[in-house]
Amino acid sequence: MESIFSFVSPGIFSQILVGLSRTVILFIVSSGLSLILGVLRIPNVAHGSLYMIGAFMAYTVAHLFGGGNMGFWMALVLAPLGVAALSFVAERSLFQFLYEREHLMLLLLTFAMSLVFGDLVKLVWGAEYRSVPVPQVFQGYMNLFGGLPFPIYSFFLLVMGPIIAILLWLLTNKTKIGKISRAAAVDREMVGAVGINVSWVFAIVFVIGCLLAGLGGVLVAPTVSVTLGMDHTLIIEAFLIVIMGGLGNVWGALLGALIFGLTQSLGILVWPKFGIVFPYLAVVVVLIFRPTGLLKSTW
Amino acid sequence: MLGPNGAGKTTLFNLITGVLKPDSGKVVFKGEDITGLPPYQVCRRGISRSFQVVNVFPKLSVFENVQVSVLSRQKRTWNLFTPSAKLAIAETDRILGDVGLMDIRDGTSAALSHGERKVLEIAIALGGNPEFLILDEPTAGMSPEETTRCIDLIKQLKERLGITILFCEHDMEIVFSISDRIMVMVRGSTIIEGTCDDVRCCQEVQDAYLGGSDACLM
Amino acid sequence: MNSSVFRGKLPWVIAALVVLLCFPLFLDRFYVYLTAIILLTGLCATSLNFVLGYGGVFQFHHAVFYGVGAYGTALMIIKSGLSPWLGFIVGPVAAAIVGLVIGVICIRLSKLYFGMLQISLGSLVWAIVYRWYSFTGGDDGIHGVPLPDIISSSSGSYYFTLIVTAVSMFILYRMIKSPFGSALQGIRDNPVRSEMIGVNVRLQQLLALTIAGFFGGVAGSLFVVVDNTVFPDMMFWTLSLELIIMCLLGGWLSYLGPMVGAAVIVLLRTYVSGITGYWALVLGVIMMAVIFFLPNGVLGYLDRFVKKKAGNK
Repeated sequence: MESIFSFVSPGIFSQILVGLSRTVILFIVSSGLSLILGVLRIPNVAHGSLYMIGAFMAYTVAHLFGGGNMGFWMALVLAPLGVAALSFVAERSLFQFLYEREHLMLLLLTFAMSLVFGDLVKLVWGAEYRSVPVPQVFQGYMNLFGGLPFPIYSFFLLVMGPIIAILLWLLTNKTKIGKISRAAAVDREMVGAVGINVSWVFAIVFVIGCLLAGLGGVLVAPTVSVTLGMDHTLIIEAFLIVIMGGLGNVWGALLGALIFGLTQSLGILVWPKFGIVFPYLAVVVVLIFRPTGLLKSTW
Repeated sequence: MLGPNGAGKTTLFNLITGVLKPDSGKVVFKGEDITGLPPYQVCRRGISRSFQVVNVFPKLSVFENVQVSVLSRQKRTWNLFTPSAKLAIAETDRILGDVGLMDIRDGTSAALSHGERKVLEIAIALGGNPEFLILDEPTAGMSPEETTRCIDLIKQLKERLGITILFCEHDMEIVFSISDRIMVMVRGSTIIEGTCDDVRCCQEVQDAYLGGSDACLM
Repeated sequence: MNSSVFRGKLPWVIAALVVLLCFPLFLDRFYVYLTAIILLTGLCATSLNFVLGYGGVFQFHHAVFYGVGAYGTALMIIKSGLSPWLGFIVGPVAAAIVGLVIGVICIRLSKLYFGMLQISLGSLVWAIVYRWYSFTGGDDGIHGVPLPDIISSSSGSYYFTLIVTAVSMFILYRMIKSPFGSALQGIRDNPVRSEMIGVNVRLQQLLALTIAGFFGGVAGSLFVVVDNTVFPDMMFWTLSLELIIMCLLGGWLSYLGPMVGAAVIVLLRTYVSGITGYWALVLGVIMMAVIFFLPNGVLGYLDRFVKKKAGNK
């Protein structure tokens, strides 16, 4: 990495790294979205809400355990599991009856769920801003190559990204459920015909995808103020990333998140007010040349 | 056109109608090079086709299915304000009468039987008033009576309307009974093209269909 | 699906128009305002349904055109100093242009890609409006847009809304019943076959998207007339999905379905919001119920019910 960026001035370099650490969160969330899209063919609008719920759960768990290191680690484990449990209930009670319906219906159902989740969050946690403290281990700054201060928590996020990516790769390529789910993405009837309970495969994949959304929520919690509406922009960004990378392709989500994060952080340097335009331009350019995204889509 | 499954018959049709673009070679129609034109352009030059798998407009009525095709040929699809219900009625009804679908004119096409839908398929293709009509296995999946009727229909189209018809079939009997010229494809290439008698006597065709590895596929 | 349907309904249409014309005579100002909001929201949903239900295009972010129409009108009136009436042309035309541009970018993509990219690009428009404080008023929006005298009163704005909505609905209806509409429905049912009978699918859909954008913009301008304000949330993506729900609720295979759906949603929103702060929860539950139990919408259900009755006789 250093060799690529060594010719860039240190200030920009650190800016890019901070941008990349945010990219990690985008990657984690959108890889879950992409997984669900690829196997279940659901454009899950409620994904953003699950991310928000993950962040709120992290707040609650962290405070239950006293807000220190322990609180953070417990949140990192428990909050995604809580989100997974919630999504499991939603899948078994609602989605499993709709897999044969059109995408539009599924999209609307997930939208309905995101509305319900949004109000449930308001009911449980209220409309105030919450904050999750950065755990002591990750507080403060470390010195980068040029002696630049760099937040340790961002560094932690940068490490988390590859770990999650490798775990996902292992999951989709090396485990039985991963192989079955990839087969089900291509032809779910055939998978059913060879005696596999497709409905449960779908349930598991859905829960794993949502767990990733929850994990993203936990990881982002210490860096932002946790509040209602934090799901709204994120889901759009995740959509963009997934489109750019290729629907259903987890590596596409990684690539898309990288492009998104880089164009955004560079864009803000160039044009602070409307830096947000650049990732969109990137998506449009990508789609002009590759209408189905950068990497092979499962669609 | 004859050929076992996977011989490339439908691929050839797709190449002619512009669904696929050829890697090499040319498609020439009436002296004009139409290679690589998009399907709607090919259609406007007088080539219509029906599909092997039923491919109609499920939410429209039988009448509307054919009417859309007629309107499209008349280049009226950019007309935003005249009610469709007043346009192209006579011609659509004539086509429906020709193919014998007049009595189910107002039913929705989703409610038709398989055989009726295959006929509707041909009727939609006729709506383009083609000089050259491509039928991809028109009798596939039909009952014996439906097949007989469909064959009569194809004969009629040929004789009464003077349309050149290119069609493919698995059933040798049907092919020999109505074709003027026959082309046999095996594994993506033509092995013979000629009159019925030429084909019947050809050794390679007999191999492909009777003795060869593909015999069971006939 | 043929023209005699319209002829049979003509007396009903006239009767409905007469009743609507009389509303300001005996209804409270608030209800007149509410009716106007229902009318323009219904127009917006109908213009969405033009491409969604009849065209089969996944227009996921229709609210953008509604918002652009409203902002176009309001900014034209405030910033240009020209005749305010010009604003009512500029708004919809701007919306049509945005519709065309987004359409050109998205049209080559398959259905779901189209929808997702459209949501994203629409959100970009929203983000720009939201951040461009000096021009659009940003988060605050624009309040107190000055209007020509004749439409600034409560009943004036109502009549203006009613007339414009009625005319627009009529035009859209004619378009759906025209050869253009037939071809559009053909594309919805079977794009491959449509191409094969000589329809230029992409161009046909692009024109439909532009038309839908235009009438979405008209609805937006009407909102300026009725409410005197514009704000960025008018083009937030959640509103778009709400519009889709209106179409679904009313039934997207019946022409007046979206209008009925809009009426139901707007009324519910008004009254439920008065009782509880959890309108989104209620809407979500309603949506789920509709998806599960009324996949053809209220009008679709009634339609089938009536047909079944007729069949029994």
